[in-house]
Amino acid sequence: MLQIKNLHSRIGDTEILRGLNLSVNAGEVHAIMGPNGSGKSTLAQVIAGHEDYIVTDGSVTYKGQDLLELDPEERAREGVFLGFQYPVEIPGVNNAYLLKAAVNAKRKHQGLGEVDAFEFLKLAREKMATLDMDPKFLNRGVNEGFSGGEKKRNEILQMTMLEPSLAILDETDSGLDIDALKAVAAGVNSLRAPDRAVILVTHYQRLLDYIEPDFVHVLSEGEILRSGDKTLAHELEAKGYDWVRKAANG
Amino acid sequence: MNPNTLSVERLREAARGLPHESLAATREAALANIDETGLPTVRDEDWKYTDLSRAFNISNQWLDSQRAAHISDTLSAQISALTSSIDAHWLVIANGQIDLTEVQGVDAATVELFSDSGAPFVLDRPLADLNAALLSDGVRIRLSGTPDKAIGLLVIDETTGSVGVTQANIELTVDAECEVEIIEYQVSSGTADHYCNSIVSLNICDAATARYVRLQNRKVGHVQTGRLSVALGKRSRLDMLSVDLGGGLIRNDVDIDIANPESSATFNGLYLTGDDQHIDNHTRVDHRVGPAVSAQEYRGILTGNSRAIWNGKAVVHKGADGTDATQANHNLLLSERAEINPKPELEIYAEDVKCAHGTTVGQLDETALFYLRTRGLDHDQAKTLLVHAFAVDLISKSPVAAMAQHITDVVQARLAQLIGGES
Repeated sequence: MLQIKNLHSRIGDTEILRGLNLSVNAGEVHAIMGPNGSGKSTLAQVIAGHEDYIVTDGSVTYKGQDLLELDPEERAREGVFLGFQYPVEIPGVNNAYLLKAAVNAKRKHQGLGEVDAFEFLKLAREKMATLDMDPKFLNRGVNEGFSGGEKKRNEILQMTMLEPSLAILDETDSGLDIDALKAVAAGVNSLRAPDRAVILVTHYQRLLDYIEPDFVHVLSEGEILRSGDKTLAHELEAKGYDWVRKAANG
Repeated sequence: MNPNTLSVERLREAARGLPHESLAATREAALANIDETGLPTVRDEDWKYTDLSRAFNISNQWLDSQRAAHISDTLSAQISALTSSIDAHWLVIANGQIDLTEVQGVDAATVELFSDSGAPFVLDRPLADLNAALLSDGVRIRLSGTPDKAIGLLVIDETTGSVGVTQANIELTVDAECEVEIIEYQVSSGTADHYCNSIVSLNICDAATARYVRLQNRKVGHVQTGRLSVALGKRSRLDMLSVDLGGGLIRNDVDIDIANPESSATFNGLYLTGDDQHIDNHTRVDHRVGPAVSAQEYRGILTGNSRAIWNGKAVVHKGADGTDATQANHNLLLSERAEINPKPELEIYAEDVKCAHGTTVGQLDETALFYLRTRGLDHDQAKTLLVHAFAVDLISKSPVAAMAQHITDVVQARLAQLIGGES
């Protein structure tokens, strides 16, 4: 589904990704872990298409096509979803409106007609119930005045409505209490399917207790230093990131 | 002779050709005022950003022309389309010609032409003098009850071949304890230049409420000076929204006089500007007594090579204790060639007052734009949504229900044009 080869990326004059390689197949859940400043969020932003992150070398192939050639909206319509670490508050843009516009943009791209308004609302309310979200949030401005947990739930709501092929969740667990964490994890798990893949970007192992990854990668200074199965996450939790760095250098 | 200034002699000559002898004395008084004080120039502090040379140039061309105002079939069709799509009792002033047919039928309304009584009308500033000097006739409406629907004032102009200049003057009185919705709709079209100088005076009596929507959608390139002056009675209320979408050179003056206690005035405005547009909003509130409340919020979205001015003045006179005056002006600049000159002015001579003002000038939030694009919305769609979001708070609170949908539609249509042109 996703092949990243020798990816180099900078923001301004600062090189952040320095030859990153990653391969994600359909049906897999990958966790990318690493200390602050290692390039985790940059990777997420580059995959989503943020224009401030300049790709200087390497390639990103998604479903056989050059992902870097596509605009952010084209990537989204092709099934790439980024769950933001800091979801943006947009007062004056209705949450339900955005959700529907997003679903319709994707449907249009797939050659389908617009979603039925009644069915759409019904489905949105069902998804909200499973995320333990008050349906009133549909009529608020996008993330406007939402708490940290509500914003993350809203990201997951968008994700489950859009049913992406590839979901990248950037620090979706940060700042969540245990109830919110469970709700978010349940949302992600509900999306797991043989034709979909998930990349979890996280600082802590905690999230992985609820969403079991197939692979864990440790990112440091813009490169993946070590990959393994879920036990690597536990090892990291016990030994810290320095252990990986030393092991790699030694 | 300088084509950008107006000579009193030429104006007097034009005034002599106007109908209604009963208005001659007022016209002559107005001409005498112009002779004495002149018309605004950029040397006047209040006019430093807005040069009326263009208006006067058009006026001189118009004085040179035959000045035969007629109403074309296309203009008639435009009037019917507008008045039938918005539910109101319409007073129509088309190319300066007054049509009272509909508004005369309103039970609660007494309607008369200025020429019926010949009573003098307000000449308190140079543009009012210019209006009086060239005014064929004006309309007085007194509302002694609460009408079943809004009163619409449609000021519509069309030029065909040669330039046009029109004056409109409407005085409205809302009697004590009445509640009235008023729509002022300013629109123009045509191939040649046009200058419209319009005045609406609104007198809201004790415990009465006026909800007022003003929509200006004149042809880009046309010129308008427009004024709304409001006098508030005791415990009376004004709730107003002013929207400027079109026009080339537009100057709006809103003057609110609070000489009676416990009254309140909320007046908000939205202006959208694109290439070759200059929109100047000057507001002034005089708090002469307290307690009373005035609150204004104007928002502007500027694109292309355009300019907007917002000058909000609140004067709290000596003894007007208990005044609560707030002003806000927020601007979204979408082009490097657009310019905004915001200026809040508070003059406070009373002691127990609450006054606040705030002004912001910002650009589009790129992070929000990216966020929307990652949800599949294309660049223009995302941009339009964000820009619309900036305006939606204001326009969703249309004081006149019959105008709510129309305003949303025309604002969206204009935004789509402006943003399409930007990307």
